[in-house]
Amino acid sequence: MDTQPVMQAFGISKIYHPETIPVRALTDVDLRVNRGEFAALVGPSGSGKTTLLNIIGGLDEPTSGSIVVSGTDITSLSPAGKIDFRLYNIGFVFQSFNLIPVLTARENIEFIMLLQRIPRDERRRRVGELLDAVGLADKAEVRPAKLSGGQQQRVAVARALASKPQFVLADEPTANLDSHSAANLLDIMEKLNREEHITFLFSTHDQRVIDRARRVITLVDGRVADDRTLVKGAG
Amino acid sequence: MLLSIAWRNLWRNRNRSLLILVSVTVGLWAGTFIMAIYYGMGENRLRMAIEKEVSHLQIHHPRFSEDQEAVYCFPEAGVRRVLDTLSNTAAYALRTIGAGMLSNATGSRGILVAGIDPVAEDATRSLSGTVEEGAYLTESGRHPILLGRKLADKLRIPLKGKVVLTLLDTAGAMTAAAFRVQGIYETANAPLDERIVYVRKGDLDALLGTTGSAHEAAVLLQGEGEPVERVQTLLEERLPGLKVETWKQISPETALVISSLDTYNLIFIGIILLALSFGIINTMLMSVLDRMRELGVLMAVGMSRRRVFGMVLLETVLLTLAGVPSGLLLSFATIAWVGRTGIDLGNIAGDTLRDFGYETVIHPVMPTGSLADILVLVLLTATLSALYPAWKAISLRPVEAIRR
Repeated sequence: MDTQPVMQAFGISKIYHPETIPVRALTDVDLRVNRGEFAALVGPSGSGKTTLLNIIGGLDEPTSGSIVVSGTDITSLSPAGKIDFRLYNIGFVFQSFNLIPVLTARENIEFIMLLQRIPRDERRRRVGELLDAVGLADKAEVRPAKLSGGQQQRVAVARALASKPQFVLADEPTANLDSHSAANLLDIMEKLNREEHITFLFSTHDQRVIDRARRVITLVDGRVADDRTLVKGAG
Repeated sequence: MLLSIAWRNLWRNRNRSLLILVSVTVGLWAGTFIMAIYYGMGENRLRMAIEKEVSHLQIHHPRFSEDQEAVYCFPEAGVRRVLDTLSNTAAYALRTIGAGMLSNATGSRGILVAGIDPVAEDATRSLSGTVEEGAYLTESGRHPILLGRKLADKLRIPLKGKVVLTLLDTAGAMTAAAFRVQGIYETANAPLDERIVYVRKGDLDALLGTTGSAHEAAVLLQGEGEPVERVQTLLEERLPGLKVETWKQISPETALVISSLDTYNLIFIGIILLALSFGIINTMLMSVLDRMRELGVLMAVGMSRRRVFGMVLLETVLLTLAGVPSGLLLSFATIAWVGRTGIDLGNIAGDTLRDFGYETVIHPVMPTGSLADILVLVLLTATLSALYPAWKAISLRPVEAIRR
């Protein structure tokens, strides 16, 4: 694992409805994730996991503090700048897969590269590699509705990796999967982490994910209550 | 791929998309058909005015149009010579005109007597075709006269009945003669039918003392879209001292009616486009609201707001374009069919139409230039209508949209 930070959070606080009924979601969170980490953000419901993940991904704004991803302070970017930054630097995997229903598995992955204006041949080649990596080469022309939950989430992982990001944020990626699918998905993500040094940060309740993570960050009431690097799962 | 996504998105909710398709089709059809009816009416009125009433050009003594006195005539021969040399003349007719009184045992009416050459008049405005009862004027018989149906009915003058015309001659003296009704005519212009009676030019010239002269020369030009103003200038040069006027100057009400039709047309089309616009806004807004989460995801994974905005616009434009061929096909078919059979408004508004100088059967006409205008207007309306739903789509915050 590299000691170079891929993400640094400095004093992140988030208060919802500050002018009406303030709800404090995060309080003064400092966090550093290094390149190549396979980390899980855990904690009870309402502890601020998803909020922190959204802020790290530039989907939400912190009330105070700043986030630096790959050397860029994303909290200072404009909304359009954040979208552009996400396109090239951050991959997202959502709990509900969130694939585009009108596109096939191949097109869902290729779409991201199209937004990056990558030439057609290169797109097709990479889509092939990604589908192979997630074991869905035979489902390339199938639309999400015809795929199982596990298969959809694997397409979502491939989509998250399509833009060649160094950092993938996954919000409860196994929550809607059965044990077999979850194990399969985690195998794929571990392999990508090990072989391509892609950094993964999960928010999760799922013990199956926690068991595989090499670092577990525990949030309680919007604060980092525990941060442990484990020796297991190094491959 | 954006095009492909937009196209596939359209068919996610078939009923909704079909609703817009039908709106576009019906909107386009209705707009085109209404335009065609109005153009048909305009063309009808213009054709009536030129072919049945005033012709393209008229030549008068400069003071005749103000006073209509018998003395304001011009020598026939000189005008005839000039008109015979004009290359694009379809026909012309020289007339003697006198304002006077027509009376019979029942009563009397102020009328305008037109002394005509039956053959030339028929060539210029197909007068014989309007004779409904009796016969058209010929060279035989003594003092035959043609009366309009409305006048004959009002004064209860039967065919072969006798009427007396009283006029002022070129010396300003009163002169009168008896005429026998040879035919009763009816045109689409009821007010004119009531006001104008036709006699042979020779008979009227003898009465007024205008033999060898005429008060009016009506010139019908060849083909459509003849450069009337150019011929007017030419005639003015060749006939100094005479007044040459185009149909627009002689019948400004016809020009006004045609320009008013354009205005009515715009109003109707505006209403149709407004209805179309509401339909599109409503449907596209529903489509966007249904996909809030998905649009949020697209922005979360890196699709710019500009692209999301473009995608919603593209969906609307594609849907509109899909509706255009069916709308056009329906329009062409309807206009072709109804254009051939005509819409007979005789039973609904026959008298009213005739009072305003229209034929009672309207033949819709579709000028191709207007078709392009409608297409552009429909596309523009669709695009403008999609702006609000598209703006709604991009005003989403991805994080809120994904939470839905």
